[in-house]
Amino acid sequence: MEELVKQLKEQIIDALNLEEITPDDIDAAAPLFGEGLGLDSIDALELIVILDKYYGIKLASPADGKAVFKSVNTIAEYVAAHRTK
Amino acid sequence: MKEGISVTGMGIICAIGNDCAQVLDSLKQGRSGIRKMKYLESVHRDIPVGEVMMSNARMHSLLGIPEGETVSRTSMMGAIAIREALSRAGDISGKRVALISGTTVGDLDITEKYFQRMKTDDSLLNLPHSNECGTSTMEMARLTGLSNAQVCTISTACSSALNAIILGCEMLRSGEADVVVAGGSESLSRFHLNGFNTLMILDRAQCRPFDASHAGLNLGEGAAFVVLTKDARNPLCYIGGYGNRCDAYHQTASSDDGEGAFLAMSEALSLSGLKASDIQYVNAHGTGTPNNDYSESQALRRVFGENIPEVSSTKAFTGHTTSASGSIETVMCILAMLHDFTPANLGWKSPVEGGIVPTSGHIGVKLDNVMCNSFGFGGNDSSLVLCREPRPLPELVKARNCTVAACVTVTSAEELSGLREFISPMESRRMGKLMKAALLASLKALQSAGLQTPDAIISATSRGMLELSQQFMDNIDEGGEELLSPTLFMQSTHNTLGSAVAIRTRCHGYNTTYSQGEESELWALRDAERLIRSSRADSVLVGIFDESTPAFDSFSQRTGTKVPAPLYAKAMILTAEK
Repeated sequence: MEELVKQLKEQIIDALNLEEITPDDIDAAAPLFGEGLGLDSIDALELIVILDKYYGIKLASPADGKAVFKSVNTIAEYVAAHRTK
Repeated sequence: MKEGISVTGMGIICAIGNDCAQVLDSLKQGRSGIRKMKYLESVHRDIPVGEVMMSNARMHSLLGIPEGETVSRTSMMGAIAIREALSRAGDISGKRVALISGTTVGDLDITEKYFQRMKTDDSLLNLPHSNECGTSTMEMARLTGLSNAQVCTISTACSSALNAIILGCEMLRSGEADVVVAGGSESLSRFHLNGFNTLMILDRAQCRPFDASHAGLNLGEGAAFVVLTKDARNPLCYIGGYGNRCDAYHQTASSDDGEGAFLAMSEALSLSGLKASDIQYVNAHGTGTPNNDYSESQALRRVFGENIPEVSSTKAFTGHTTSASGSIETVMCILAMLHDFTPANLGWKSPVEGGIVPTSGHIGVKLDNVMCNSFGFGGNDSSLVLCREPRPLPELVKARNCTVAACVTVTSAEELSGLREFISPMESRRMGKLMKAALLASLKALQSAGLQTPDAIISATSRGMLELSQQFMDNIDEGGEELLSPTLFMQSTHNTLGSAVAIRTRCHGYNTTYSQGEESELWALRDAERLIRSSRADSVLVGIFDESTPAFDSFSQRTGTKVPAPLYAKAMILTAEK
């Protein structure tokens, strides 16, 4: 799981183009949206692309991603349970 | 201008008809044009669209275009609608004519088809390849006998065509033209179908604006144009007023309180001299996305209070015709006025929480004053009031002179680190190079002029965010229309630059974007001068923004045309001369 968390952080930094942020700067338990990292609705769409591209998980709408995208940890748990690649 | 601006002709082509008569019949019969994809080539066959039921070959022959000439679908649909509009408008020979079209896609339907091969095959470079939307309007002028007209293209995403009509009215009021043919045209493209798909706002069924089950929009295509003149005899109707304001909230979402839409509608009403209660029908922007429908409902409540007139979105008939929607729906409003009916909001069953209740349509209602809303990405919100009786509009007289208070130019990527003084890395995470340059030049110019928020923002860009747009086009081709990035698409509309400046400076004032090749800058400056000279703005930020890419540079080199600068952002602050 630790490896997956690290990998996800790198994929998020890359896809969201988070300049000047390293994986260590992201608290895996902290909220990604609103407070915490402060991501928005477009970032949520990019996260949906990450799940599809690297893990073969298809979310039908951003609403479905709400619970999944709470933090890097919740994404990792969801990916571990649902990944098809 | 005691009789104001008259509409003397109109033409339309869209999913529910190829001319005014067919569109009128479909509207009255409640016949939707949302169907399975027929002409657009895309892997996303499950996405329904509102296509014009005419092949390119048929349009080609209808317009008498010689064999071997390739004209984009946007230009051909535009020309068909312009011809219809002119046929009703009477003789315009000897008049000073302007043709103003709103589009974002332009000739992209051709460019996207051949783009990869154009990189190596010189023989394909006789096709449209510059990715400028202004070229599609030049073609329309050529195909409709308007080659001698002043030609201009407005590109404010989904409000483009309404802003084209607004520019036409401004030019008539200031005496810059005698007759204006204004509207918009937009064909479907693989590019924006995939783009909207990455935003996950496309409904897989016929869209249901304002309905509790609404789940997004359907894309459509088409064109519509109106002919405008001053003090005409026996016109179809009159322009009552218009408003253009900016939501200045987000590049692809509307604010919860609908501020931009509220301001645009209020301004249109105020110019018309009418009260909110004088409006009997509103053709809503009503895309069918939960975000638009909620935001527009709040804005309508703020303008009309508890007495909201009959409102409908006609997008379940035509799909969202994006840049052309403003003129397509303007023509529908005029048809409704001329034939005493209100179009139905198809597919509506029950209200959304906090949403308005739209009309199911009525026959036999006399409409004296109607309103047409058109909102775009970046919060470029516009509204138009149309009236049965003449409404006097003040002429735009030159009350004062204009001067340049500050001017800042950014031309190299190295300078962009200077943006850190104004914006955090988190805020600029999605911005392409040109947007960073545009913001840096704009914020520095404002700083130098001692201003935080200008009264208006006017942009000029020939190709917009070319680097990210090309990347999106390449990704579509490489990845077979899958796994695409919304970040690339959301910055592909030309108005994204001016909108970014508005969002950053919280500028809710007039906001528009010109895209007419090298003439874009002149059009933008003319507009800024018009605002300042007539004392409607004290400070206007004019931005000239363009970039290039190696692929597009190679097209220029191989066709022997001028290779544009790799990065160019100039921001000027225009103010009144003291």
